[in-house]
Amino acid sequence: MKRLLTLVVLFAATARAAVVGSAAIGYRGEPGVESEMQAVLQADITPVRFFKVDAGLSLNLFQNNGLGAAHLGLAAEVYSPAHLTLRLAGQHQQWTDWQAGENRLLVVFEAGPLYGLDAGAGLVRRVPVFGDRYSSPLVWSSDAAEWNFLYRLRWKFIQRENWWIRAGLSSYDRFTAHNPQQFPLEADGAYRLRDGLELAGLVSTAIVGYSGGLASFHDLDLSVGVRHDF
Amino acid sequence: MTSRRLFLLGSAVLLALCACKWDLWGIVTRPNVEDRVRENLSGDPPAPGPVAVKPDSFRFAVFGDPQIQHDNVNRLGKFKQEVAARSIDFFCALGDLTNDATGDEVDSIKSDLDRVGIPYYATIGNHDLFQADGWERFKQNYGPSCYSVVIAGRIKLIFLDTADGTVGPTQFDWLETELQDSAHVKIVLTHFPVYDGDKPMMWRLASDAERVKVQGLLEKYGAYAWCAGHTHGLRHMQVGAVQHFTCGAMAPDGVGLDYGNPGFLLFTFVRDSLSWQFVELN
Repeated sequence: MKRLLTLVVLFAATARAAVVGSAAIGYRGEPGVESEMQAVLQADITPVRFFKVDAGLSLNLFQNNGLGAAHLGLAAEVYSPAHLTLRLAGQHQQWTDWQAGENRLLVVFEAGPLYGLDAGAGLVRRVPVFGDRYSSPLVWSSDAAEWNFLYRLRWKFIQRENWWIRAGLSSYDRFTAHNPQQFPLEADGAYRLRDGLELAGLVSTAIVGYSGGLASFHDLDLSVGVRHDF
Repeated sequence: MTSRRLFLLGSAVLLALCACKWDLWGIVTRPNVEDRVRENLSGDPPAPGPVAVKPDSFRFAVFGDPQIQHDNVNRLGKFKQEVAARSIDFFCALGDLTNDATGDEVDSIKSDLDRVGIPYYATIGNHDLFQADGWERFKQNYGPSCYSVVIAGRIKLIFLDTADGTVGPTQFDWLETELQDSAHVKIVLTHFPVYDGDKPMMWRLASDAERVKVQGLLEKYGAYAWCAGHTHGLRHMQVGAVQHFTCGAMAPDGVGLDYGNPGFLLFTFVRDSLSWQFVELN
């Protein structure tokens, strides 16, 4: 992790990096499981063409207080006409109230946007950690480790000069990787406040139980914030 | 895709839905896990009482998924032979007692479970809710889907209703209260597994946070095991100090998910010591 951070800093320092930073506040609720406010900081750095580094932190308030999740990702565009990108990312998520954490390694191929559509498919190695070492992002073995599939299909169906809206399903984002037995739905959008500054919002939920023939809406995620192009 | 192909695909999906035996409207409008748990905890129907066993030596079997269909085929006949051969005192059936929850299936499996000839406990699975009256029929036959019982003053069996693939707020609170009991060995018995090997599969308890919270509670209060059905097969994992079992199915060949051999989990309690073994039924 330290080496990756060093790489990020080196790229940012030695190249004419394009940097997009964002800050948001949000809410995450799941009946009977957790209900908390979140503050999220993210940065996307493009030090050279076809290569991107992204990093972020999510903090929890009112439940599982403190650090909620962190991520560091690298993405390389491997086929420009389809904007086909190979993304590698590490995630750490933790729940302080239950002395539990999870480290994840994601490998995903993403394509698009083309005609407003973007898609992704990949795998995640999920490593739950319980007890004293739950807050460490360096634990990569666990009795409960497992592989899961990841998928994404979203459509930016409204694109105007100053705003856009996108909807679809995505089993992963910067901080989470849903289990395949959740069916995740989301809608997000942005409004340009001025050059280089956007107001952004996201709402998402997940259907559970569909794998057993019984489906119900389960969790709710809301966030609103600003994104600045430096 | 042309509109003609879309029409044909849509028609095929509709026909498939109409042809299946599930009551689709009933599935949408059925009581969900929160409704069922609140009903269970109101005391009506009453929870079953403890079975009578020798206090220092008893055996019980755990399995899931007889998943009986119209042809009434299952492995309970073979299981009955094992009950006699191994002196099993009682058993626990972890849901998916029927495949489609039709009236005939519900009546058949009740008769077959009774015919085994020893006391038993049951909890509900997703297949048992595939008709509008699935929950009503289940509780008429077996009582609540969420309850606890203490066997011989030694072992507390905590039955959870996870038929919807989730625990739900009221049941989570109740589970934590039940787990706080430090006087007994605690075993949770339910339909959905939490951890079940490392392969990518979609048949475990739903959300990541929910699974982590369950494991956190089991660890915190020193539960011995989480026993589940749903994915068929006999599997064991130890996560921290908690044993996670997928306890085997009583379904005939070719029914539902077949991730392993049919059979059951056998617990033996002798002089304050609890041990377990898988018994295959071929």
